[in-house]
Amino acid sequence: MMDKKILVVDDEITIRELYVKVLTKTGYTVFAAGSAEEALELLNESPYLVYFLDLNLPGMNGVELCRNIKKQLPVSIIYAVTGYATFFEISSCREAGFDDYFTKPVQLSDLTDAAADAFRKLDKWNKRK
Amino acid sequence: MRILLAEDDVTTRMIVKELLGKWGFEIDTAVDGNEAWEKLCEEDSPQLAILDWVMPGMDGITLCKKLRENDRKKYLYIILLTSNTRKDQLLAGLDAGADDFISKPYDSREFKSRIDVGIRLINMQNELREHDKLLGALEMSGAICHEMNQPLQTIMGFSELLLLDMDPGSDNYKYLEQIKESSKRLGDLTKKIMGVTKYKKKPYMGSERDIVDLDKSSQDK
Repeated sequence: MMDKKILVVDDEITIRELYVKVLTKTGYTVFAAGSAEEALELLNESPYLVYFLDLNLPGMNGVELCRNIKKQLPVSIIYAVTGYATFFEISSCREAGFDDYFTKPVQLSDLTDAAADAFRKLDKWNKRK
Repeated sequence: MRILLAEDDVTTRMIVKELLGKWGFEIDTAVDGNEAWEKLCEEDSPQLAILDWVMPGMDGITLCKKLRENDRKKYLYIILLTSNTRKDQLLAGLDAGADDFISKPYDSREFKSRIDVGIRLINMQNELREHDKLLGALEMSGAICHEMNQPLQTIMGFSELLLLDMDPGSDNYKYLEQIKESSKRLGDLTKKIMGVTKYKKKPYMGSERDIVDLDKSSQDK
């Protein structure tokens, strides 16, 4: 059975806490990082299959982080969560490998639905192996 | 389109005014450079000026230079009326800030064509100004929305989280619901602002001042 682990990356501590709380309540194992660099360190220790990434991060941005994650884990499902989505940013997100994006403030049900959808897809692919 | 005609000779002024009127322009006149300067410094002055080169008070060249040094909200297209055909004189006029010349005695077809060129340029400048205004507004709104969406996420998200474990019949549930709904409304507003693609205005509370019409500015058509 697949380990339902999620990584949340956002530089705002209150948002990290919120997403961790709601996704944990829904039944997932959730970890959080405050930067892309911290996220990559966590990824080295253990793989995650589902991600919620803020785009506007200090240091490496969310788009670059997505590219890095996809290189290491092509099957991972990565969602962008952004405070402001321009047409340019959305195009960059698609090109970087994001599976979908959400604009803050996101309804919690959208987050939990996205997580459920991600694990359903991963389960399906897993069964086909 | 309004045009200012500065010409000291009464006959020439009358003839040119009549010609411009026949072509559908609204004409304002000045009898010398000083009057032209005052009229062109007014708030809602014309965007196209036809200035005689030689005038009492301030001549066309000096007036040109002063007008170009003056900060203006909208571009002023300047045509000099001149009997001069010497290259150095014409260059002096261009250096002073004139956009074009009409030589006396003038050909009416040429006169009309040169004015049409001026109008095309003015329209292009005006479109560019509106475009720059929109860009400025979009950049500002993007920055504001980005900053607002973070705390809005916190307010909305934690309200939702608390509501999950509350008794729906309780007063606190109702209050928290209202907080959640209000923050969602603000979130919808920031999304509308981020969807602005045009610059549409509407009057503000019956005053002379306009504000951005968010509904029309964020519609696709």
